Amino acid sequence: MRDIDKRYDAVVACKSASLQVQPGEIRALLGSNGSGKSTMVKILAGTVKPNGGEILMDGAPVTINSGLDARNLGIATAFQDLSLIPTMTVLDNILLGVEPKGKWGTVDRAKAGSEVEALLERFHINCDPEAYVQTLMPSMQSLVEVAKAVYQKPRLLLLDEVTAALHRDEVQLIFGVLRELKAEGTAIIYVTHRMNEIFQICDTATIMRSGETVAHVNTSEVTLDEIVYYMTGQRPEAVSPHEAEAAHGDGADLVLDVEHIALFPKVRDISLKAYQGEIVGIGGLEGQGQPEFIRAVLGLTRPDDGRIIYRGEEVHFHSPADAVMANIGFISGERNREAMFPDRSVGENVFAGRAAKGGLFRFLTDRKVRDFAQAAVDKYSIVVGSIRNPASSLSGGNQQKLVIARWIAMNPTLLLLDDPTKGVDIHSRRDIHKILRQSADEGMTIIISSSENDELLEIADRVYLFYEGRVSGVLSGASKTPERLVAAMMGLTREQNGAAKETRQA
Amino acid sequence: MIDLKRAFARFRRSPAFAGFTLFLFVVILNILVQGPGQFFGMRNINTLFSKNMPLLLATMAMAVLLIAGTLDIAIGIQLALVNVVSIMVMQQWGVSLLVGFALGMVAALVASALCWLFCSVLRLPAMLASFSLIYIVRGINVLIMPNPQGRIAEVFYKTYDSRILGFIPFSAVFLILVLAIWAYLMRTKFGRSIYAVGGHPRNAFAAGIDPVKVQFQAFMIKGFITGLAGISLTLMTASGNPLQAEAYGLRSLSACIIGGLGFGGWGSMASAVYGTGFLVLIQNAVYYFFDLLFKLIPGFTVTSYWQNLVSDIIIFLGLLMTIVTAKEQREALKQGFVKQFKGGDSVAKQG
Repeated sequence: MRDIDKRYDAVVACKSASLQVQPGEIRALLGSNGSGKSTMVKILAGTVKPNGGEILMDGAPVTINSGLDARNLGIATAFQDLSLIPTMTVLDNILLGVEPKGKWGTVDRAKAGSEVEALLERFHINCDPEAYVQTLMPSMQSLVEVAKAVYQKPRLLLLDEVTAALHRDEVQLIFGVLRELKAEGTAIIYVTHRMNEIFQICDTATIMRSGETVAHVNTSEVTLDEIVYYMTGQRPEAVSPHEAEAAHGDGADLVLDVEHIALFPKVRDISLKAYQGEIVGIGGLEGQGQPEFIRAVLGLTRPDDGRIIYRGEEVHFHSPADAVMANIGFISGERNREAMFPDRSVGENVFAGRAAKGGLFRFLTDRKVRDFAQAAVDKYSIVVGSIRNPASSLSGGNQQKLVIARWIAMNPTLLLLDDPTKGVDIHSRRDIHKILRQSADEGMTIIISSSENDELLEIADRVYLFYEGRVSGVLSGASKTPERLVAAMMGLTREQNGAAKETRQA
Repeated sequence: MIDLKRAFARFRRSPAFAGFTLFLFVVILNILVQGPGQFFGMRNINTLFSKNMPLLLATMAMAVLLIAGTLDIAIGIQLALVNVVSIMVMQQWGVSLLVGFALGMVAALVASALCWLFCSVLRLPAMLASFSLIYIVRGINVLIMPNPQGRIAEVFYKTYDSRILGFIPFSAVFLILVLAIWAYLMRTKFGRSIYAVGGHPRNAFAAGIDPVKVQFQAFMIKGFITGLAGISLTLMTASGNPLQAEAYGLRSLSACIIGGLGFGGWGSMASAVYGTGFLVLIQNAVYYFFDLLFKLIPGFTVTSYWQNLVSDIIIFLGLLMTIVTAKEQREALKQGFVKQFKGGDSVAKQG
């Protein structure tokens, strides 16, 4: 394999992205949220088809339309969200698709068994090959996922954030195996968000931003700051966590005080305070525990550890209904999955939050619903044909405004928003920001999680940055700069930054 | 000894264990109410096999589909299709019943291919698609044979009720044949693919398996087993009836679930056998239990509906038990999570 060159346009996920990797090279593929790195991996693995561009292997163009094509080309992938079949055993999972042939078309299980034992030994995976994958711990599953990819003896190995669920020792173990593979001439593409890992294991790095590849570098020639600059367009400026904690003290009432909450596996230890009339932002890379945190506060999931103090009292919500009764509102960016009733009318959608609060059999007239909805639609300038039309007839931005209107109209004490402007056009976004700011000024407390840094900087009074299930930085007032935001987002707190530099020098 | 222990531990974790426990329970119950002499008597065993072979085979056909992550509740009426085709071919064309059986088998395969087209290719919900298939097949059955009729030669049903070497019920040949074929398939690539497709189609596709193709193979195997079940039904009833056995579709599904099969890639063929065994034997046991009551308590009489009620309640409890065992498996998983969460370091030390 000489080059993999891949360009394709017309998709938002990736535009004219390219990537090359040589045998015996470990190349890091880096990028921040939605930069298209996972899409690149999926295209090579055959689970997503590109709309354009070409892939070259050994200088010849190839097409990858399915997992089978990828496998035949010698490409093996370990996915972030795992490709194991939970109801099958470890042995069967590793062998899946590459079963050694025995007599009369059967699978040679004796031979396979000893091979897999050796493989598990190599990864120090201490489990019964006949154990069902669904009974294994998540970290063990990640190791098996990598072992499965390695078992195929690939020429190109793709690893998509496989270390996310792993302990430090286990990561070193995988690195050991990767170095062996590298010596054998395997090309490896390694996707991660852990910056210090890059310098430990990778030779080169390709950095993506907004679907474009912005730089190809040798890791020995760049500093961490430069990489972060390429990823985000900002020079990072390290912060120490909890710096801004004390900064807030203008005497407002504490509405929500979350102490050391933990929810396995994503949330490890998060504390957060929100005061009345304040907009608190939650930022960070994708998958650092933001949605899990918000849902824990809402009572959708129960945290393993920690306390949630709401309006001065410790609360244990058993379901979102409890939280709504306690005047908490929740708006999800996943409109279709968690917020909308697309086939019901606009009016009913606005009224849904209100309906949740009243008695189940309370008498309700059509007129009441209509008036309430009409008022909300007018107030928040939602563009509708008629409030009797189904909600699915609205544009994405207006749908989102609809959901926000639903909750704001109820005037909750605390409003939780999980990436509310995802896929929303710029105009609607501005409207939504205006509504939120206005509500906050009227005394509502708002916690908003967002994957867009600009949005956080613009709207939030204080920003909490999550990294690996912990708070890596709190920014407010003067410390609320793009540079610091980026640094905290990458987990570059002062201590860690030093550690990463040391590793590099070593 | 250690090997034996390990094997037992594995068996305990396997999905068939719940079904096996229920099966064992009901066998013991039968021995208690009938006495071992009568229960294990040649006649009793032979009757049990010959009368219940169609249901057992239908359940095994259903098990193949469940493992592949789909289902077909029209299996029952397809038994009648095979029956109707076999009888009418013999009657109308004056050929041997064996030719009729061959064409009946073809009819079962065609019906299965149709269901595959609905469920796997067009991706209609399997429950609804196969439900509509019931009416299609029933209509075809009545077109071919408007009312119950026909007789098969004595030699056929006499053979079906006979015993090989004096102790193996002839009907058990069907069971042994299917189990042997299945045991072979489980040792091929297909055996792994079918579980992968049922367990997680997307990941199976990523691993280079074509789910639609594997499901087609599954439907063909199901068609073959359904064909055998229809032949067995014809031999058992010795005549033709276009509207019989429809309930086998849902009964076979419940037998599968009781035996420990899940929807998609969970469970084994053994589960199907245990599940059917439980369903059949519980009715047997309740029948003999009431028989015992009649004898012990003079003047005690109830209608047979009471027997059905009691056996249905026990079946319901059996279904409940499968939920309990599934919950235990989830608990084990959760404990693993907590262990990992609390002791990241200790786990790492092992490694």
